[in-house]
Amino acid sequence: MTYNSNYTSTHSPPSYSHYTSQYNHQMSSIVTDEEHKTQIYNQSLDQSSMVNLNSSWVNYKDFQDTSCSTAANTRRFTGAWVTTLFLIVCLKMFFSIIPGISPEASWTLTNLSFNFGSFIMFHWVQGIPFENNQGAYDGLTLWEQIDGGIQFTATRKFLTAVPIVLFLLSTHYTHYDFITFGINFTALVVVLVAKLPLMHRVRVFGINKFDMD
Amino acid sequence: MNPPSSILPSTDGDDLAILNTTFVAISEFILSIPGSAGVLRYIKTSYQDDPFRVVLELILVFFAIQYMSAKKYKIDDNAVKLTSKEIDELVTEWTPEPLVPPLSDQDRLDLEKSTLITGAQGPKPRVGSNQKPLLNLASANYLGLCSSDRIKEKAVQTLREYGVGSCGPPGFYGTIDVHMDLERNIAQFLGVEEAIIYAQGFSTISSVVPAFAKRGDVIVVDDGVNFAIQKGVFISRSNVRWFKHNDVNDLERVLEDIRVEDLVLKKRLTRRFIVTEGLFQNHGDIAPLPKIIELKRKYKYRLILDESQSFGVLGRRGAGLTDLFDIPAQEVDMIVGSMATSLCSAGGFCAGSHEIVDHQRLSGSAYCFSASIPAMLAVSTSEALAILSSTPTLLTDLHDRARLLRSILAHRSLTPLIDLYAPEPDHPAPFLHIRARETFLASRLRDGERAVPREDEERLWQEVVDECANQGVMITRAKYVVKQEVNCPRPSVRVCVSAAHTRKECEKAAGAVKSAIVKVFGRWRK
Repeated sequence: MTYNSNYTSTHSPPSYSHYTSQYNHQMSSIVTDEEHKTQIYNQSLDQSSMVNLNSSWVNYKDFQDTSCSTAANTRRFTGAWVTTLFLIVCLKMFFSIIPGISPEASWTLTNLSFNFGSFIMFHWVQGIPFENNQGAYDGLTLWEQIDGGIQFTATRKFLTAVPIVLFLLSTHYTHYDFITFGINFTALVVVLVAKLPLMHRVRVFGINKFDMD
Repeated sequence: MNPPSSILPSTDGDDLAILNTTFVAISEFILSIPGSAGVLRYIKTSYQDDPFRVVLELILVFFAIQYMSAKKYKIDDNAVKLTSKEIDELVTEWTPEPLVPPLSDQDRLDLEKSTLITGAQGPKPRVGSNQKPLLNLASANYLGLCSSDRIKEKAVQTLREYGVGSCGPPGFYGTIDVHMDLERNIAQFLGVEEAIIYAQGFSTISSVVPAFAKRGDVIVVDDGVNFAIQKGVFISRSNVRWFKHNDVNDLERVLEDIRVEDLVLKKRLTRRFIVTEGLFQNHGDIAPLPKIIELKRKYKYRLILDESQSFGVLGRRGAGLTDLFDIPAQEVDMIVGSMATSLCSAGGFCAGSHEIVDHQRLSGSAYCFSASIPAMLAVSTSEALAILSSTPTLLTDLHDRARLLRSILAHRSLTPLIDLYAPEPDHPAPFLHIRARETFLASRLRDGERAVPREDEERLWQEVVDECANQGVMITRAKYVVKQEVNCPRPSVRVCVSAAHTRKECEKAAGAVKSAIVKVFGRWRK
């Protein structure tokens, strides 16, 4: 038995004038410019509605607000910054104690594993692990989330300087041949290019692109 | 100092001598800078007979220096930059809006005509200045549980034992045994694995939808759903597709569209939901559940069914739409209901599998962030469920009254004036909407008018409501947030029957509504 009333046949076609921009009522897949703008607007609205725990840990800005400024500033840089340096030292030590390894090989391994790890964490993985805001950060890498997308902040400068310094140190302490130099330099260039402002939200050849519509 | 001509053959010895001394001076100066020896040593070791390498490294250093000295800026910053002069101008131009905006005519009507009940709510409350109590056809007290002494007694007992408030959200000390009992009772009554209770009926569905559907997910929604569902669907930020109210062919068309689109555009697999209402609050009709379940299985969607109006009244046991259509409740992924309608308590619930419920304990915003319902309301709901399952006559009485009301309102004299939603004589819904017939409205158009303004139609119905009150019956206009409804229904009155009224009372009330409509419609705009 069905209780479907004849209501549908009598009522007038719905008018969506108030909501055309908020509801994707059109059945076509082509998202209009207006709708796209609204989506971007809603996304930035959702992003600013609460602290992004996924990126705020990299610089712990909150400590700056405390009245005790010197202590605050020292604590500010003790989070991810020191962790990065600590990780590099650990990596280098780990690769150096392998019996019979040459300094070239250990530096190359250190360079590669650090650059690969940071590329995965900062430039490959998207979104945030603890979802609580309807996917406000979907499709954004951690690098793009840091400091709310502001370029050339202290954290970004630090994280850019680290691989460069690491590379220069490694060339200094070793006698790379052409191949090892090439490998190290390429890894560095890939990481650096990914950090450039002009690569913000750019997915080269659509690799790793997250489709939202 | 030796003449440079011995090293660099040149015709002009003097100039070279000057150049040479300059070089020496520079190198001495560089060496005098603290730390410069280290830098030079670094360059010497790094050089390693390979100028190309040094150039690359220098480029790197320059890149680093440039990056370090760059100024902060925000990408895609579309904030309007104003000069201080412009800001001053804007400030002087600004006149604050009144804190309380002036009332519109509609607001004034709503305010003036608000019904004020003195004393307890029930099937026959005292209303405003009326001498005699009115027959209440305006509340969702379908089963008459609102004035049940058994529930009242239980509530007082609970109040003595647990106090009033629950003192916290469910995750933080807000859950006590009676809440867990209630969750178990609801799950058992529906025949599902588990249920979770929310503190407000309205925020239940608008919290359940966004708990599961996020950005990029797909929600297919009936375009006649109530306001709470619309809000839930909107704040989920998902991609929303609407299908025509209760039209399964249109639903299938939308689902097929999405399927083809996904194939053509090679979209990633996302979560998909069909959201609809069991008994439509705004239209009084029932969703064709068997067909929807068939489609959801065919296209692999999950079904969220809002049973706020249907829970407790539809079906042989009153377990809602699944009961009515004899479908196991597990077939519907999430059954959302209200405890504030037929059960005459407060709050809402979502019932489903363990996974569905577990997920909401940390992701249902309204569950996590508001205090749980007071213990006495939880106990009242449990008691109401117990009464409902132990008294089958309640439902037969209710359906008998509903049939009676429908048969009286379907009278010939009303046919040219009104439309009933839903009109079928044995439709099981315990309430119906009455809307003015379009042909009637068209016959009363004033000169130069294309359609009757919404406000006038509201006033017409308010007159009917007032006339009913004079005749001893309380009904009410259905109220909508006109500007925000996706598909705002036309003005109507919502007439609810109650099992607490005797057959005679119901007949009298329906007769009063009928005569009020005839009287008011007859003199309207004449």
